[in-house]
Amino acid sequence: MEMLNTEMLRMMRDPLGAPLHPTLIQVLLVATFVLHIFFVTLALGAASFALWAFLRGNEWQRRLARVAARLAPNAVGLGVVTGIAPLLFVQTIYDPLWYAANTLTGFWSTLFIFVVMGGYSMAYLFYLKGSPQGRLLWASGLSIALILLAGWIMHVLANTQLYPEYWREWYAPNLEPDTRGVVFHAYNLPRVAFLLLVSSVLSLGVTLMLFAWYFRQRDDADYEYLTQVGNLGKRLALVSAPLLWITGIAWSFTQGIQFGLHIVMALAFTFIALLIREGFRHLDPLTGGVRALGFWLLSLLGIGVIRETIRATSVARYGYRVADYPFVWDWASVLVFALTTVVGVAVIAYLVLVLYDSGKGEVRPWAEKLGRVSIGMLGAWLALFILLGVRLYL
Amino acid sequence: MYPTWEGVFVHSAMYVAIVAAFHVLASHLTVAAAWFNLYLERRAVYENRPEFYEYLKRSALGLLVFAYVFGALAGVGIWQTTTAANPRGISTLIHNFVLYWGAEWYMFLIDVVGIIVYYYTLGRVNPRTHLKLAWILALGATGTMAIIVGILSFKLTPGAWLQTGASLDGFYNPTYYPMLFMRLSLMFTITAAWACLIASLMPKGSPWREHIIRRASILGLAGLIVGALIWQFWYYPTLPEHARQVMASRAVPAITYQAILGGAVLTLLGLLVNIIAPRMQRPIIALGAMGVLFLAIFGAERTREVMRKPDIIAGYMSSNQLVIADIPSRGARNEEARLNQEGVLGQLPFVKPPKTAQELYDTQRYWKIGKQLVLQQCASCHSVSRQTAIQVGRHELRLRPVDELLRMRGAKTRESIEAYLNAIGGFPYMHPVKGTAEERAAMAMYLQSLVEEGEPPAALARR
Repeated sequence: MEMLNTEMLRMMRDPLGAPLHPTLIQVLLVATFVLHIFFVTLALGAASFALWAFLRGNEWQRRLARVAARLAPNAVGLGVVTGIAPLLFVQTIYDPLWYAANTLTGFWSTLFIFVVMGGYSMAYLFYLKGSPQGRLLWASGLSIALILLAGWIMHVLANTQLYPEYWREWYAPNLEPDTRGVVFHAYNLPRVAFLLLVSSVLSLGVTLMLFAWYFRQRDDADYEYLTQVGNLGKRLALVSAPLLWITGIAWSFTQGIQFGLHIVMALAFTFIALLIREGFRHLDPLTGGVRALGFWLLSLLGIGVIRETIRATSVARYGYRVADYPFVWDWASVLVFALTTVVGVAVIAYLVLVLYDSGKGEVRPWAEKLGRVSIGMLGAWLALFILLGVRLYL
Repeated sequence: MYPTWEGVFVHSAMYVAIVAAFHVLASHLTVAAAWFNLYLERRAVYENRPEFYEYLKRSALGLLVFAYVFGALAGVGIWQTTTAANPRGISTLIHNFVLYWGAEWYMFLIDVVGIIVYYYTLGRVNPRTHLKLAWILALGATGTMAIIVGILSFKLTPGAWLQTGASLDGFYNPTYYPMLFMRLSLMFTITAAWACLIASLMPKGSPWREHIIRRASILGLAGLIVGALIWQFWYYPTLPEHARQVMASRAVPAITYQAILGGAVLTLLGLLVNIIAPRMQRPIIALGAMGVLFLAIFGAERTREVMRKPDIIAGYMSSNQLVIADIPSRGARNEEARLNQEGVLGQLPFVKPPKTAQELYDTQRYWKIGKQLVLQQCASCHSVSRQTAIQVGRHELRLRPVDELLRMRGAKTRESIEAYLNAIGGFPYMHPVKGTAEERAAMAMYLQSLVEEGEPPAALARR
């Protein structure tokens, strides 16, 4: 059977190979996943807090709920856009896994985007028209349910990849193919609780601390309110740390153990939970926002590495190793990507600076200069990109 | 080969088409609307026309909520639907262009972060600083268009890539420029409908309300005319002869062209009315125009997909996901000869191949194997089982159902179906069926059971 699965994975791999060294793609996959999971969990955390505060919160919590309601749809949008990069990289080096999971779960894979659109629309509707008096609270509840369903679908797709040994049975038991793709074939509840639920509390906590850190600098800052917000963020992070540990241990001893990774995972999750617990304990709620973000992104990177290790270990059982993935250096591709990275980072840095400074009413002079330079770079990039193909006509 | 996902209620290919048409509407809108907003904002700054900011604010909110985020969502949706419907097709594109898509990802980020910053900083930063954001949105959105057109046009005309396997040769292919400039023109028509919708929601009597409707309509009309000219004199002549043949065949139903032409004529008339009498514009009319454009785009995108038939990537991969060319520099090898010689079954890792001749000829097993082979070879373009059927009144909507097509051609017995399968490569939009003689016989056995399943529905609804 092992030989059969090994042969199956080899046959399914794309004959064209990757355009650069697969290990580099694997690094990009993990790094971009960190950004994606941060925004996704933030969307869930912000939407849930807004609903809770409108239902049960006191005055300052309701004031904060308005901010959270505005944040939720924007975080969904950013979660989707940042999700594009890991989506690209996973299907480059794990094509047999990703495509098999998507075809086996085709109905949900296709429905996924409609579910996200629904969640996003409901979150925006609630932000624009909802009120603490109970107006459109159903929209908020529905948006949370849909975001959770979208997360669940992605979770199932990620888990289905891990079990090539069951694919045949799932697709065509007794040679009778099931071409509907409606069954959730593989899932792990502790993993969902860890990656979606507990992480959403942490992402929200960190963002609340960042909120307090940013707005404390304004002349009209309401220190009492900001201290309450910062304290809430810190408290949420501290409460989440043991929950993260418990769900992490459960994940280790339900899924990790299947691949012999339970001890390594348990140790890693213990370290991450301690890092968060100890790191956040000494942070000032008003000024510690940036360091809180740093701790959390570092933890998410660790979580991303663990997630990737599970996948790599699973397929290594059948001789599938990312480092062995065939590739041909396609320098044109690499150059296009590298050049666009420089331009993209410059432009996005400028956009973030403008947003950051907009609260003070004036953008710092060197940022204005960066704006001029980045627009020039973007224009030059576009002209180069369009003109590069003129050689066709020469 | 991967498992087959046929679709549920609607055929998998139609999920792709619906999501793609919506994506085109939203994403093209973001590109041209960004340029139109830049035009208005420049006038607001340099001609001191602050009244334009009210339009810009409303337009930006609409674009943020609808076009940018929904456009990005639908873009991801295309990946998800094509992955489920045709995994090897999307895999070919990914393994060629993953880093071009990576580059486009930066442009997406610029677009989505940009529109959020643009909207939330309107009136909160210096107007000249804000104008820079408008420039970034216009350039970034055009950047996404410049990249994705290279990948889309590659599917129809891979050009020198078929010889070299180099991504740049595939990206800058013969239809890249005509498609790019045609889309860049036509997107102003979509933006005209959008601008009319936003402006018609503004208070009546404002002199600039009509001004914006008229300006946007002139721009939209110019885009429509230039786009039509590019189609006629640049894009269509650049199409491969085979694509033109398929376009003229029954593979593209007449209703598709009616939707495209009807949409174009209605849009042209609507824009002319807007230019002559902008006061008559109403939100419901503008919304109707968006609906008409959606139908026309749906028809155009379907035609673009169908004119490649029988390939998903012309000259390299058939619609049913078999490699049909050698590209030695990339290690890709033509699979046809091997499949005919060794059989398709051995290439379907999700099917346990029969171990003995007795097992192969076990009737029930034979039928099941036939089903697997039909699914693999036919389900990309045809409804095979009834799970992709919707009953609308007396009509049953399915996508070119195999049983109906066989009945129409009088192939009802196992022998006649087998003979038909052997001759199928004679159509310009079909490849010959692959596999050994035994495998074709198994396919015929399964297809015969489909044909015999019942009387044909009252009407065959074609799509």
